[in-house]
Amino acid sequence: MKKTHVKTNDVIFQTVTKVVAFIIIIYSLHLFFSGHYTPGGGFIGGLMTASAFVLMLLAFDIKTVVNTLQVDYIKLTATGLLIAVLTGVGSFFFDVPFLTHTFDYVQLPLLGKTALATAVLFDLGVYLVVIGVTMTIIQTIGETE
Amino acid sequence: MAFQLLLNFFLAFIWMFLSNDYSSLAFFKGFFFGGLVIVALRRFFTHRIYFLNIIAVIKLLFIFLSELIKSNFAVLKVILSPKLTIQPGIFALETDLEKDWEITILSNLITLTPGTLVVEVSEDNKTLYIHAMDIGDVEQAKLDIKNTFEKAIKDVSR
Repeated sequence: MKKTHVKTNDVIFQTVTKVVAFIIIIYSLHLFFSGHYTPGGGFIGGLMTASAFVLMLLAFDIKTVVNTLQVDYIKLTATGLLIAVLTGVGSFFFDVPFLTHTFDYVQLPLLGKTALATAVLFDLGVYLVVIGVTMTIIQTIGETE
Repeated sequence: MAFQLLLNFFLAFIWMFLSNDYSSLAFFKGFFFGGLVIVALRRFFTHRIYFLNIIAVIKLLFIFLSELIKSNFAVLKVILSPKLTIQPGIFALETDLEKDWEITILSNLITLTPGTLVVEVSEDNKTLYIHAMDIGDVEQAKLDIKNTFEKAIKDVSR
């Protein structure tokens, strides 16, 4: 199937994308960090970050976006899996079952009393895997003629 | 404009450091006095004072809101009228705005005005093709757009 290419001027779409992509990504980061006490978390945050990248793919062509981001998504997926597994392995050092998570209140210099949970690290792994897998699927489908 | 705004923030931070008070109130005090200093030394800048830009942006926002309300009432009139007397059509509008964001804002504003809708921007960003719900008074519509929106947008980017 051949696509007929009518050249259109995407100036409005591209300008709006340049603004909206930042807002989507910052919102996805907010969702990622709010996952412990409120709805959100690694999975939905990763999907929203990937959706911002997909919006960029829609507004610009694939080459531009690949040059802009310059991320190897397969390596990103591997990194995410590694982080998730290592947070599980870390529980062996304290003689507790695999994937046992803990949290503690830490006095940080600027933030004051902050609850730091190891579950956030596991969530970071999930986040990276979701971005990597989503973008790999979409770019692979997009590049095949 | 961005430079003046950064300078004002910088002066506010200096005020905080000098008064050894890191509250938001001290920041606002410093921002106010920094603004006074920038107004006093406005001859140094090539650009006009940035407060005027902010006022222009707020004006544009109010134009946008009023047009939104007007356009909804206009469409309501057309829908509720018993006879359909409209004549749809497409006309071209030459614009002298150049930057991408200016054209985007102008297009969005035209789309929200009563009875007009941007369908296409030409390759060289010089012409907007606009679909009008009622083609009868094209020249009047063109003049309206030129006088209100283009002027307001130019005032922001001046």
